[in-house]
Amino acid sequence: MSIVRAHDVGVVACETCGWVLPEWAALEGRPCNRCGLLAHARRPRSLEKSLAWLAAGIICYLPANLLPVIYTSGIGGSQDSTILSGVVSFWRAGSWDIAALIFTASVAVPLTKFLGLGLLQWSARCGSDWARVSRGKLYRIVEFIGYWSMLDVVVVGLTCALLQFKTFEQAEPRVGIVFFCAVVITTMLSALSFDPRLIWDGRNRG
Amino acid sequence: MEPVSLLICKRCDAAHRAVLMQPRERARCHICGEVLAKPPSLDSDRLLALTSTAAILFAMTVFTPVLSIDLAGTRTQANVWQAAVSLSRGWISAAGVALAMTMALVPMVQLLLLIWILVFARQGWRVPGFRGAMLVLHALRPWSMTEVFLLGVLVAVAKLSAWVHVEVGVGLWSLAGLTVILALLNLQETHAWWSLGRRGGSA
Repeated sequence: MSIVRAHDVGVVACETCGWVLPEWAALEGRPCNRCGLLAHARRPRSLEKSLAWLAAGIICYLPANLLPVIYTSGIGGSQDSTILSGVVSFWRAGSWDIAALIFTASVAVPLTKFLGLGLLQWSARCGSDWARVSRGKLYRIVEFIGYWSMLDVVVVGLTCALLQFKTFEQAEPRVGIVFFCAVVITTMLSALSFDPRLIWDGRNRG
Repeated sequence: MEPVSLLICKRCDAAHRAVLMQPRERARCHICGEVLAKPPSLDSDRLLALTSTAAILFAMTVFTPVLSIDLAGTRTQANVWQAAVSLSRGWISAAGVALAMTMALVPMVQLLLLIWILVFARQGWRVPGFRGAMLVLHALRPWSMTEVFLLGVLVAVAKLSAWVHVEVGVGLWSLAGLTVILALLNLQETHAWWSLGRRGGSA
């Protein structure tokens, strides 16, 4: 089945407001006449930007997991904890459900995003026509799970706010949490830079 | 071909001819299944009521403690601001700023802009600064993370309850309500507002 797409009927859809404008106007660089922003047939330099943000995310993922995210001290002694050591201590304490939740949000979700974004970018770069509907769904999944990894930042923030210097048990944030935050933001920017319409473009367009 | 009579799928760029839709019908892309158009499920009055409720709940969430603990006679409290402030140490402040932006500032700006637009939209008018407000709303949408804050609060309760008694404050209930309403508001189709006030202000 051949698909009739915006280019085939000579129009461009504005991504911001949904307005449909003639392709020649967009090519001339005229702004959308409804919202006034530039309407692009495809997000400019989509694959390059998306790849750059993805690379930044993968680089930040290492320190995010290797460096401690929180320091706690109290009756049980004092220690620096990484994300994974936090998961392990929940598991050992018998709260496997919380351990699974933190593992999913902090380790599995970023990895899924790396793999998903990598696959989407690579297949779009090749102009592949393989499993287009599923790749469209994959993009939606990557978009949807995007921000759930901020979970650990919230947990560390709340723990440190509750266990302050004046209480006997104390908690302080550690620098790993910044890298963790950076992983979330860079991978979200990578997904936002990726133009899902590229999934449906063949070799002859780009 | 007249461009206005076309609907273009924002996911796959497939072109569709627009037809008159029945109430409760929704148009889906025949290629990738994305929703192309749906009639507004809530009118401006109801949306304004929901948004105002969300604003009140937001204020409660920010000004009351979400969690508090009592340790040896010392009481500490936490909500979204205190969580962000406790991350303000040197480099780590960047994480605090991200937390404050995504879980407090962005939802607040979204709610204020929605109220601003809706107060006029229910009379069929565009507000002053309509275009800017709509563009900011569009740009902020991916960065509003109230639901993650709610889940984080629940995990923090589970984590801390092992050592200390954690009390749940009013803020948690307002946060839960706020999360539900924001999710509802984020489902709304806002493209239709662009056609507000085009013909002498009567819609």
